[in-house]
Amino acid sequence: MVLTHLLGPKRKTTDKLQTFASGIETHGDARHPMAIKYFLTAILFVLFDVEVIFFYPYAVNFKGLGWEGFFAVLLFVAFFLCGFIYIIKKGALKWED
Amino acid sequence: MNALLLSALWGVVMMFSSFLVKEKSAIRNMAVAGLVLLLLVNILEMNGKVFFDINTRGMIYFDRFSLLFNSIAFISTFIYFILSAKDMEKVGDNYAEYFALIFFILCGITLVTSFKSLLILFLGIEIISIPLYILTGSDKRNLKSNEAALKYFLMGSFSTGLMLMGIALIYGAKGTFMTFVPPATVKEAAQATPASALLIAGMILLLFSMSFKVSAAPFHFWTPDVYDGAPSVFTSFMATIVKAAVFASFIRLFNDAFGAEKSQWQLLVAIITAATLFIGNITAVFQQSVKRMLAYSSISQAGFMLFALYAMNGDGKEGLILYATAYSLATIGVFAVLIKLKDFSFEGFNGLSKNQPILAATTTIFLLSLAGIPLTAGFLSKFYMLKAAMETGQNLWLVIFAVLMAAVSVYYYFRVIQAMYFKDGDVSPDLTVSPAFKTILVFLAVLVILLGIFPGLLLNWYYF
Repeated sequence: MVLTHLLGPKRKTTDKLQTFASGIETHGDARHPMAIKYFLTAILFVLFDVEVIFFYPYAVNFKGLGWEGFFAVLLFVAFFLCGFIYIIKKGALKWED
Repeated sequence: MNALLLSALWGVVMMFSSFLVKEKSAIRNMAVAGLVLLLLVNILEMNGKVFFDINTRGMIYFDRFSLLFNSIAFISTFIYFILSAKDMEKVGDNYAEYFALIFFILCGITLVTSFKSLLILFLGIEIISIPLYILTGSDKRNLKSNEAALKYFLMGSFSTGLMLMGIALIYGAKGTFMTFVPPATVKEAAQATPASALLIAGMILLLFSMSFKVSAAPFHFWTPDVYDGAPSVFTSFMATIVKAAVFASFIRLFNDAFGAEKSQWQLLVAIITAATLFIGNITAVFQQSVKRMLAYSSISQAGFMLFALYAMNGDGKEGLILYATAYSLATIGVFAVLIKLKDFSFEGFNGLSKNQPILAATTTIFLLSLAGIPLTAGFLSKFYMLKAAMETGQNLWLVIFAVLMAAVSVYYYFRVIQAMYFKDGDVSPDLTVSPAFKTILVFLAVLVILLGIFPGLLLNWYYF
């Protein structure tokens, strides 16, 4: 590995040295200020993503937990739904001002 | 169990009221009504009427101590609401959400006072902490509020990390999350096994993280900045009700989980107590702002509450109940007056007795109680704490030191009284307070004195 690194040809171009951003041209560095809307959407995504992750262990133990477990999960989803209605009503997902 | 479910539900109700209810007074009334309901169902549960029967597999257990503590928290919050809820309007636009967050904190409080499993302790502490981070930073346009919230969040999550690490180590040592496991056989109970290093390490990590949450020295550094930076209405809430509840969980944790290892942690707690008393009181003397002085005073009062942990006996528990009540009521009263003033420095209180004699008189009673002057609740609660520590028969230097530090505390509390009565000044001439506000303040002051003469009014609830 060291040898290939030393012996291999190096052709540096400005395009190659750019940060890889999924093929899109970069806009400034990471300290670039962005609209808070992006963060809000991202954090809400994480929240509901985590909710879905909780279904996996439930799915594995679906039979064992029985009806009691079903109602517990139903309650969990109901609470999450309350939060979902809240963020919609509050306009957290409205993109245009 | 009643209060736990209702507080969570009412939090959701308050959340929805933010877009369903337009008038601010209606939102406020809803919050107060919710709190009355909460108190009612909790008192019903104290009399044995449980509405919900949920199998928690022994992870939550409501006993007399936790139910009484919850009642005290709800009563304090009720008084706090009717005194200061109107001032929350000035903080920002999300009026209903502030109440929702406070109800979620109350939900966390019912959890931490009644846990039997370390997981529930962790959950409760987090349910308390996360809304507090938000409330600290709720004054979005204020740089100090933002700084306080960030500081609180970073340090708070770090200490929660310590707590989780401690819980993991204890799980490794004990093989269960339960705080107390009765020995399976008589033979097992008879042979005392020495505590493993794993258990001791976990215990010390838990001690540190809980000390952080109650702002005991040397883990107190966040307290002055956070209490100073947060909007005053919310400082009042987190310095009193939340702190008292975390103390209740602190006691519960060390009583249940580490009662057998008392000899291992007692000296450590004694050192933390002494350091907290020393740093809290000595630094408070040098403060120029009353709000910051109250932050340091809350550290020094935490030092006194640590005596209950140090002693860990019946008197200590009784003392903690009384102390938490006396401290919460008095501090809520002082903060309610402080919020009304424009200038938070000592000069801001100059000549208050001439403009607002009732405000000045009640504030004096609250400050006297905080300083521990006889005939107030503060005196008897300090007395109970020291008595509990004396009963252990060890480390008497700690008691003497505490008395000395209480004497130091008189200095900075009396500076406010001196400013109010003996200095000329014209504070906030446009200061207007409603007659209702004055009436409640007087009622609160009477309560502080009553508890100072008849502590049995409160403590009898612990037994009957």
